[in-house]
Amino acid sequence: MKNWIYIRRSWQLYVLLVLPLIYFVLFKYGPMYGVQVAFKDFNFFQGIAGSDWVGLDIFREVFQNNDFFKALRNTLFLNLLDIVVSFPAPLILAIMLYELRIAWFKKMAQTILYIPHFISWVIIGGIVLQVFGTQSGFINNMLHGFGIQAIPFLSDKYYWLFTYLIVGVWQSAGWGTILYLAALTGINKELFEAAEVDGANRFRKIWHISLPGIKTTIATLLIINLGNMVAIGFDRPFIIGNVAVRDFSDVLSTFVYRIGMQSGQISLATAVGLFQALVGLLFLLGANYASKKLADESIL
Amino acid sequence: MTESMLKKWARPALAVTLASSLLLGACSSTTKEETGSGDGAASQGATTLKVEIFDRGNAPAGYTITNSYLTNLVQERFGDPNNINVEFVPVPRSEETQKLNVLMASKSEVPDIVFTYDSGTFNRYAEQGGLTDLSGMLDEFAPNLKKFLGEDTLAYGQYKGQQFAIPGRRLVLGKYAGYVRQDWLDKLGLPVPQTTEELYDTFKAFKESDPGATGGRVIPFGVSLAAAQYEPLLWSFIEPLTEEQRYTLTQQLGSSDYPTLLPGFEDGLRFMNKLFNEGLMSKDFGLDKDKKQLWQDMQNGLVGFYTEDAGELYFSANGGYENLQKNVPGAVMTPVDAFTNSEGKHAKPAYAPNAMYVMIPKSSKNAEAALKYLDWMASGTNLFDIQYGIENENFTLVDGVPVVKADATQEAKDRIYNFGDIAIIVNGKFAGDDVKNESAYIAQTPAAFQADMRKSVEISNVDNIQPVRFDHPIAAEAKYGNALSDKFEEMIVRLTMVKPDQFDSSFDSMLKDYMASGGQAILDERTEAYKAMSGK
Amino acid sequence: MSERRINQLFDSANIVLMLGAVLLCLTPFIHIVAISLSSSRPIMSGLVSFFPKEFTLEAYIKVFSDASMIQSLGFTIFLTLLTAVSSMVMTIAAAYALSKSDLKGRKWFMLVIVVTMFFSGGIIPEYMLVRDLQLLDSIWALVLPGLVSPFYMIILISFFKGIPGSLEEAAQIDGSSHIGTLFRIILPLSLPALATLSLFYAVGRWNAFQDALMYIAKPVLYPLQLKLYQMIQNNQVGDLLQQEGLGMTELMPESLKAASVIFSTVPILIVYPFLQRYFISGIMLGAVKG
Repeated sequence: MKNWIYIRRSWQLYVLLVLPLIYFVLFKYGPMYGVQVAFKDFNFFQGIAGSDWVGLDIFREVFQNNDFFKALRNTLFLNLLDIVVSFPAPLILAIMLYELRIAWFKKMAQTILYIPHFISWVIIGGIVLQVFGTQSGFINNMLHGFGIQAIPFLSDKYYWLFTYLIVGVWQSAGWGTILYLAALTGINKELFEAAEVDGANRFRKIWHISLPGIKTTIATLLIINLGNMVAIGFDRPFIIGNVAVRDFSDVLSTFVYRIGMQSGQISLATAVGLFQALVGLLFLLGANYASKKLADESIL
Repeated sequence: MTESMLKKWARPALAVTLASSLLLGACSSTTKEETGSGDGAASQGATTLKVEIFDRGNAPAGYTITNSYLTNLVQERFGDPNNINVEFVPVPRSEETQKLNVLMASKSEVPDIVFTYDSGTFNRYAEQGGLTDLSGMLDEFAPNLKKFLGEDTLAYGQYKGQQFAIPGRRLVLGKYAGYVRQDWLDKLGLPVPQTTEELYDTFKAFKESDPGATGGRVIPFGVSLAAAQYEPLLWSFIEPLTEEQRYTLTQQLGSSDYPTLLPGFEDGLRFMNKLFNEGLMSKDFGLDKDKKQLWQDMQNGLVGFYTEDAGELYFSANGGYENLQKNVPGAVMTPVDAFTNSEGKHAKPAYAPNAMYVMIPKSSKNAEAALKYLDWMASGTNLFDIQYGIENENFTLVDGVPVVKADATQEAKDRIYNFGDIAIIVNGKFAGDDVKNESAYIAQTPAAFQADMRKSVEISNVDNIQPVRFDHPIAAEAKYGNALSDKFEEMIVRLTMVKPDQFDSSFDSMLKDYMASGGQAILDERTEAYKAMSGK
Repeated sequence: MSERRINQLFDSANIVLMLGAVLLCLTPFIHIVAISLSSSRPIMSGLVSFFPKEFTLEAYIKVFSDASMIQSLGFTIFLTLLTAVSSMVMTIAAAYALSKSDLKGRKWFMLVIVVTMFFSGGIIPEYMLVRDLQLLDSIWALVLPGLVSPFYMIILISFFKGIPGSLEEAAQIDGSSHIGTLFRIILPLSLPALATLSLFYAVGRWNAFQDALMYIAKPVLYPLQLKLYQMIQNNQVGDLLQQEGLGMTELMPESLKAASVIFSTVPILIVYPFLQRYFISGIMLGAVKG
């Protein structure tokens, strides 16, 4: 009886869910049988079902590979740096934009800040070389003018970390502001007006109204970022990276590209992907749990 | 408010649905037209032959990759008479292996003729049993092709005795030549360097005297991370090898032989290290993946000497030499063969006589038609017409040698814009025979540069080191090839840039890592294979 | 220091910093524009920075006279609209249902969806699926496989959850159904979020080409970014050319690449300014209540 009432009250919600769920089942779970390749010696012509089972051989091969652990270490390390440096950048930028009082400048700044997101990485790679190159890079040319020795921004692995982070922030921060700005507009304006009356300065308003107002958005993004700790985009480390700094720039995505895709070792690529997925899901669930306990924010 | 909201949402949604159905309808009708064009009466009961084609995104206005002068030529001259519909299936050049893998795995979508430059990919398909064995069919269906390619080239398409691929024939086998700034030498009263020692002295002199007045930006030795820049130097340090050494110690990663384990490799790297630390070579060479920086430096008159694909400088499409002469009036680059090995020879690598691996998947039902197509290409003037276009519009014949018209109209040029991707049975332009090929090759460059071009080609053919070839592929090379060629690059860059006193220890640790990452496995397998081969 | 003074200092510092950031983001774009308007020699010699050298419009004339570029632009605009609309419809439907914390089975639905953020079957089975659904070489191959992004869905859920429950309850007491409430209360209040996510979907679709690389072989269905990617990627100098032999393929001029970059980027860049009113004014809760 109770169920009947519930269904009568909520059936529309389930109707709304039907199509999206069909989508996920068909397009996401449909091809999922492909993961078994991680336990098989994949043969292109026998197909996924027809290839021979090899148990955990592929995983053994992955875990015996020194380069894999180096790539895993670098992935975690670069992602951690990104969470510390690149994650707050769009937040700060968004608040600065929100606080701008000149309407036209605000509009213009917003539009321009997100341009880098639209420039493809191949092109960014060329620009990075022109800006950070040791021999004829823009910055080093300037330093040379001041009589300062050239800094190997790209070929020394520690300087390279700096370059990697800077370029990442430059490329993504403006784009990242959009979400925060949308969240900021959701804050009730009356709160700001009340604070004004109380004579609060800008820093106080940011701290006591703006930030709490977008707490949920921040938490959501942070949780998802933590879930992606072992996943890393291919383009940025591949394009900005180079052989001189491979100690730091070789990450799981570039490792899989080199070992798995280029060499046609689909099984190996799938095994690494499966490992990343498992660890990623655990990280996400863990982060979600912690966030729920600590800040009462949760995405699940 | 809500009602207007709904309307606001509903109207565009409706419009989109309508428009989408219209567009879909339009698309399907245009495709019908496309495939229907050119086949006319032949289409009834015709076989459809699907042929892979590289898409480089460079189809000129008015053409598409699947519908151009050349695709129509193929249909008219080969398709229509044989009642075959030739359908070209574009595969993006930069993702060719990945897409080919997927197409191969799908079976249903794979074209009847596919190809790749990657020997690893070919070996993988052959090993996994996905290719048609053409051994018996060549004589019957493709006699002209067989004659055109010759036994030497065809051997490269064999896998354990079966003809699983038709290798394209490579016409230009020489790879590299060196180039030095003649005007700088003249200014300093120096001779053209003929040995490695003389070259080193030349570098020193360029650095100290800066004859180009570059304000200290002079780069005596221009280097990038491309093979053309470091291979001539490194291979000139390799000691003379016994046959056994050649077979066992060479490492073939991808399509090239690597000298990592050969005696003398360490000395070559030590020499590069010395040049780098004395400030004689490009500082950022490790970042210059695509030669862009090197070319810029060269064109701006900063580079004193560099090695390059022979003749690259003179091809007008890239404008290298012309730009240099415009940027630095009076600049002269002379081809030179400067690196010498311990025997005083100008040893340098060359290509094997094969190019692309052209394959017919086992799932193809049109192997016969596919071979006929390739045979057609090798017959009569078909190949020539594909590569050179129309006489007096694209080229003129001078003493029987086709010379590309410098003043050809854009329309004429566009006509054969991707001839290299259609003419898959050959790499290089085929003019009839070896002598004509070379003359035609040289005639592609502007008249003023042709003497230097000829000299470059000569240099590239001196003391060539041919790639080593086993009668079967080395499995470890297919497996570790990519990882190791990356490690090889890493060795070159890091060992060149390391402080001289750390060179030895760094070399040892990097070589150890190289061996552990598959180098040893390749060495072992090659040693076995050599034993088996010489035991026969 | 008075509060007023602090605010003034804050404003000035903010403007200066923002100007710096704007310059940093604008310069590379200006560089690309400068290249697109320059002749080959200064480009190849690396002499072009922020001003065109040996000015020429040749590259743009080529781009605009190429019918396939114009056709592709039209197709891409249509594809982007189609994707944004269908993705938003599905995402809103899912997010609204899943934003109800008392929905039975909610946890399981969420888990089913979140798992797909991490696990995927791989490129080969995905290709087989698209083939079996007969979507190869159709526009739907570029719309359906990425229809709902779990990430965007989660964001929308959190926005929906942020809307005070009292508003909804009031509507429901008035006899409004769930779907009615969604249209009458929730969507109008979420305009900033809807605008944001539509933009995300649209930009994501606009910039993507990897799926077209796999699923599309018909030139009329090439999205602009695929054409652009091929121009840039396949015309890189380096070992590729060496392998293929000199004089076999001509490199595409850098200025043409740059002009194509501009041609294919500007249309999507100007979308944002149009959406900005949703971000700058927003919707005040008070206004809706009244």
